Amino acid sequence: MDAFLSGAAQVLAPATLLYMLLGSIAGIIAAAIPGFTVTMAIVLTLPLTFSMEPLQGIAVMLSVYVGGYTGGLISAALLGIPGTPSSVATTFDAFPMARNGEPGRALSIGVWASFFGTLISTAVLIVAAPPLAIFAVRLGPWEYFSLIVFALTIVASLVGSSLQRGLIAAMIGLAISTIGTDPILGRPRFDFGLEVLAAGLPFLVVLIGIFAISQLASEVEDADAIKRGEKLVQGEISFRTWAVMREVLMRPVNLVRSSLVGVAIGALPGAGGSIANLVAYDQARRASKTPEAFGKGTPDGVVASEAGNSATAGGGLIPLIALGIPGSAVDAILMASLMVHGISVGPRLIMDNADLVYGMFVAMTVASLMMLVVCVLSMKSFLRVAEVPKWVVVPVVLVCCVVGSFALNNRVTDLYLLGFVGLFGYALRALDYPLAPLVLGVILGPIAETNLRRALMTDGDWSLFLTRPVSLVFLLAAAASVAWAVRSHLTARRARDSAKESA
Amino acid sequence: MSGPAATDVRLAPQDAPGEVARLISYVALLAVSAGLFAEAWAIPVSRFETLGAGAFPMLVHGVLMLLLAGAAIGSLRRLPAGAWTAFAAAAGHWVRTRRLVIVVFACLALYLATMPVVGYPLATLAFLAVLQVTLAPKTRTAIAISLVLALLFSFGLNWLFAEVFNVFLPRGR
Repeated sequence: MDAFLSGAAQVLAPATLLYMLLGSIAGIIAAAIPGFTVTMAIVLTLPLTFSMEPLQGIAVMLSVYVGGYTGGLISAALLGIPGTPSSVATTFDAFPMARNGEPGRALSIGVWASFFGTLISTAVLIVAAPPLAIFAVRLGPWEYFSLIVFALTIVASLVGSSLQRGLIAAMIGLAISTIGTDPILGRPRFDFGLEVLAAGLPFLVVLIGIFAISQLASEVEDADAIKRGEKLVQGEISFRTWAVMREVLMRPVNLVRSSLVGVAIGALPGAGGSIANLVAYDQARRASKTPEAFGKGTPDGVVASEAGNSATAGGGLIPLIALGIPGSAVDAILMASLMVHGISVGPRLIMDNADLVYGMFVAMTVASLMMLVVCVLSMKSFLRVAEVPKWVVVPVVLVCCVVGSFALNNRVTDLYLLGFVGLFGYALRALDYPLAPLVLGVILGPIAETNLRRALMTDGDWSLFLTRPVSLVFLLAAAASVAWAVRSHLTARRARDSAKESA
Repeated sequence: MSGPAATDVRLAPQDAPGEVARLISYVALLAVSAGLFAEAWAIPVSRFETLGAGAFPMLVHGVLMLLLAGAAIGSLRRLPAGAWTAFAAAAGHWVRTRRLVIVVFACLALYLATMPVVGYPLATLAFLAVLQVTLAPKTRTAIAISLVLALLFSFGLNWLFAEVFNVFLPRGR
C-alpha cells in the first residue's frame, strides 16, 4: 500500500501532471498526422525524459502512448487513412460514418471506446502483472531462452505477408545484437576495428533508423501526393459527448470483449495494436446480430476497433513488467527509458521498484482520463494538424530523429549509424521484409544469449530445454505458431489458386 | 523441373521483378552472414564456460543462412521465364519513381556528414531549407513557411536543448 501511495503521489505531482498533459496533446497531434506513428512519437519523446525522474519520464511516455492510440483515429475516421497501423479496422466503419455526415459522432465514439478500453486493460494489468511476476521469478535461463524463441516466432508469423521473411528479419535483428562486446565475458566481436561498432549498436538508434527514417522516406515515394494539399476536415463537426458516451456504454459486451481481446493480444510478445484492432473487429462482426451492417458505418465496428487497439497499451505492459520482455516496439522504448535511468527491467522490477510499477498503473489511468478530457475539449483544434503537408512533416521529423539519436549518447558516430540503418531499413521495407521482428530481435538478442549461455554454464545438458516443462511449453508454442502460419499461408495459396482456376 | 506441380508455383509476370530483387537480397545477406559465421568461428572458446563468445553468433548465422538458402531456392522456383529481363526494365522505372526518396537520403547523408564540421544549427538550417523547398509546391507562402520552420528547428531547437535539457548538440569545429 505504501508503494502504491508513493507511486500515486509521484504521478499526481503538479509538474508530472503538466508534463503528462503536454505528452497527451503531443501524442494525439503526432498520431493525427498521417505517416507519423505512435512508435515515432514515443521515440522522439524519449530524449526529452532523460532529465526527468524515472517515473515522471515513464508517465510522460505513457501519456504520449495513450494519446497516440487515440490520435490515429482522427485521420482514420475523417480521411479513411489509418494514422497508425493500429487504426486500420477503425477506417472500416468510422470513415463511412463520417462520410454519411456524422464525423463528430464517429470521432466521439472512437474516443470513448478508447477511454474505456484503456481503463479495462489497466484493471487487467493491475490484477495480472504481480502474480505473473512472482511466477516469472521462479523461471530459469532455460525458460527465458525458450520464451524469447517463442516471442520471435510469434512476431515473425503474425507480422507481414511472409513467415520466411519474418523469421529472416528476426534473425537479422539477433545478428545485429551480437555486434560489439559479448554480454557475459565482454569479449569484442565483429567490430572490425571501427569505433562505431566497438560498443555495439545502440538499439534506440537502430529503432529510430529502422522505423522512423525508413517510414519517412517511404512517405515521399509518391511525388505528386507531396505537391497536393488536401483538406482533411470538411463541414461542421458536432461531438454530442454525453449522448455518445451512453451509446458506447450501451454496448457493454462488445466493449468488454474487444478490450479483453486487446489485452490478450497486447500481452503476447510482438502482436500489439496493429493486430488487436482487426481481431476485435472480426470478433465483434461474428458475434453481431447484424453482421451485414459492418463496413457501412456501424458504431459497433468503431467501438470494437478502438477499444481493442487501446487495450493493448495495458496488455503490452504485462510481459514488460512481469517478465522484462517487451511485447512491442513501443514497450521496448519504455523499457529503454527505464534502463537509461539505471533501473533493471525483469521479474524483480515489481519487487524492487514497487512504487514505480504502481505509479505506472496510476499513470495509465491518468493518461486515459487526460486523453479523454483533451479530446472532448479541443478536438476541433487538433483536427487542423491533419492538414500539415508531408513536405513539412518529413524534413522536420527527420531532424527530430537526428536530434533524438544524438541526445541519447552525445556521440557523432551514432548519427552515421542512424543514416546507414535508415537506408538499410528502407531497403528492407521496399523488399517487403517486416521490420518489427528485426527490432525485437535486436532488443531480445542479448537477453537470449545471456540466458542460453547461463543455462549451459549451469548444466551442459542441452536436453534440459525440452525436459523442463515450462521451457517445453514455450518451445511447443513456438513450433505451433510457425505451423499455424505455414498452414494459413498454404490455405491462402490454395484459395488463390482455385480463384485463378475458376476465373 | 516440369509438370503441373512445378508450373503452379511460378509467379505472375508483374510480380517477377520484385521477386528478383528479393532473390538478390537473399544472396547478398547470405554472403554477409557466411562471412560473419566464419568470423565467429575464429573467436576462441572460453575456458570458463561451455559456449564461448562466438557460439551464439554462429547459431544465429547458421539459422539465418539456412533460412536465406531456403528462401533463395523458393524464389528461384517461383521466377517465371524472362524475369531477369523484366527486372532490368522495372529497376530503372523503380528508381525514377522514387527520385524524391533518393533526394531525401542524399540530403540526409550530406547533413549528417557536415554536422560535425559546421555544427548543428547551420547544418540543420541548410538541410531543412533545401529539403523543404525541394519537396514543397513552388509558392511564396510555402517557401516562407519552409524558411521560418528551418530557423525554428535549427537555432530554436539548439537553444531549447542547450538551455532547457542541458544537452549540447554538435557545435562544429
